Amino acid sequence: MALRSISRRFGSRILNYRSSVASLHSHATSFGFQQVKEEEKSKLVGNVFTNVASSYDIMNDVMSGGLHRLWKERLVGKLSPFAGMKHLDVAGGTGDVAFRIFDAVNSVKRRALRKVDEDSLEETQIYVCDINPNMLNVGKQRAAERGLRDNKSLVWVEGDAEALSFDDNSMDGYTIAFGIRNVTHIEKALAEAYRVLKRGGRFLCLELSHVDIPVFKDVYDLYSFKVIPNLGELIAGDRESYQYLVESVRRFPPQEKFATMIADAGFEKVEYENLVGGVVAIHSAIKL
Amino acid sequence: MYRTAAKRFLGVGFTTSRLLRLPKPRPNPTIITPYSHASALCTSSIGHTESPIGNQSVNPNQSDPTAASSSTAREEGPRRDESSRKKPRAEFEEEQARVLAASLRHVPRLGWTEEAMIAGSREVGVSPSIVGSFSRKEAALVEYFMDECLQLLIDRVDSGLDLQNLIPSERVSKLVRIRLEMQIPYMSKWPQALSIQAHPVNVPTSFKQRAMLVDEIWHTVGDGASDLDWYVKRTVLGGVYSTTEIYMLTDDSPEYRDTWAFLDDRVKDAFDLKKSIQEAKYFAQDIGAGVGKSFQGLMNGVMQTMSRRGGSSAF
Repeated sequence: MALRSISRRFGSRILNYRSSVASLHSHATSFGFQQVKEEEKSKLVGNVFTNVASSYDIMNDVMSGGLHRLWKERLVGKLSPFAGMKHLDVAGGTGDVAFRIFDAVNSVKRRALRKVDEDSLEETQIYVCDINPNMLNVGKQRAAERGLRDNKSLVWVEGDAEALSFDDNSMDGYTIAFGIRNVTHIEKALAEAYRVLKRGGRFLCLELSHVDIPVFKDVYDLYSFKVIPNLGELIAGDRESYQYLVESVRRFPPQEKFATMIADAGFEKVEYENLVGGVVAIHSAIKL
Repeated sequence: MYRTAAKRFLGVGFTTSRLLRLPKPRPNPTIITPYSHASALCTSSIGHTESPIGNQSVNPNQSDPTAASSSTAREEGPRRDESSRKKPRAEFEEEQARVLAASLRHVPRLGWTEEAMIAGSREVGVSPSIVGSFSRKEAALVEYFMDECLQLLIDRVDSGLDLQNLIPSERVSKLVRIRLEMQIPYMSKWPQALSIQAHPVNVPTSFKQRAMLVDEIWHTVGDGASDLDWYVKRTVLGGVYSTTEIYMLTDDSPEYRDTWAFLDDRVKDAFDLKKSIQEAKYFAQDIGAGVGKSFQGLMNGVMQTMSRRGGSSAF
């Protein structure tokens, strides 16, 4: 009797494990609404971004009506960058978030208010990591336009979010904006984030997420599936990539589920904030 | 929680000094293990000396219950079989408290600012990024300080402060003085703390903290009233406390002598106020009666009232 009840409990636990693995597995083998082999997903995503790199920023502005700037400002505001910080921005190709962090740390107002603290004479280092060299090139170009080509604070690194080349416990902050949707194995990326962060370091993720508000949800769906691919064709000349984009948003885990995944990676104080009713969500957590 | 209310509802036994250590509700998905906080409640407060908060001896008192709670919570960790994580979930609260405590040491130099908290976090050995996650950053530091001062006051009272030979007004004076003396190390930056507390966002919390402080003082003085008088008394004492606090900001006298003299005067006035209110009532009655009478009758009434008040201070 006892044995049966134990085995039933154990069995249900295996079932839960299998179903959760299955749902994660589904992210690893989904390319938008298509089913693909795990090994292929990375290559397919790579193609998408190679194609869109040159018009990435313009398309962002058009698709979000310029709102993406506000979202990124909010992300950096939440981060509260400080001088002497070592920060890693993953999937940050064109440098939007990195530039904002750089400005926040080096703004005139900050420098005026900053008290001279002998202990923090270390330089701020902002690493921008992206798997796609085309996106990084666009970022480097934008840096040059701002006069930051030779600035030692910004370091452009080619790398994979699932296998970062940075040391353990080396980063004060880790951000990933609109990037985690595109990695094949989310939990690996989260584990890597946990690894490279120092104790007390913060993890912040800005990502398109799920909308639950009744009427707004339908408006949003309509906009996503009817308007965006057409805009993609018109402006970037690439309908399929933007079709992939809107489909991958639907396939990504909802806010609560993602928060659980972050907590499972070992993070503490996992919170999320919905912007525009859930169109975008900022998840934040701390490594302790 | 208010001491008088707690006493009424929960009985005398519950009024331990750890009353204020009940966890505040936090809106995050991670669950705080209730076990760790229960152990903190049961730990008796060690006889605490009257050292100012800037001193090292403050930390042992705080870290003792927290060390106890973290060790008990850690024991729980390996027993949990569903996750492989061994760390207790309440760690963020402890870490925050530790960082804020360390930051206080930097406040006299850097003010109630993020810089002080960044320096504090470096001292504790945690990345300064953690400061970014504190809600209303500088306010978190000020509020932590206010809570710690209140706790220190309660500890002082519990560990045998001699109030028996004093009349109520002197008891109030002494308690307010003890509390204000805790702010002396930070006096140069205290105006900044006051302005932080006055921000509309922070007013609810700072108001609540002051209300708790005032309630605590009245409770210690031995006041058990819980009728309309309760509000009047606390408002009056709140006023006395705030005005003395502000007076102290510009006081240059050695050992703040002038401030304590000011405090004694205000407390005396407050206690006289009760008498004065009664007399003002009589006077108003007389005036009302006098309107119907002749002017002579009115003057008689006024003279009577003045003789009744005797030689007490003019209003």
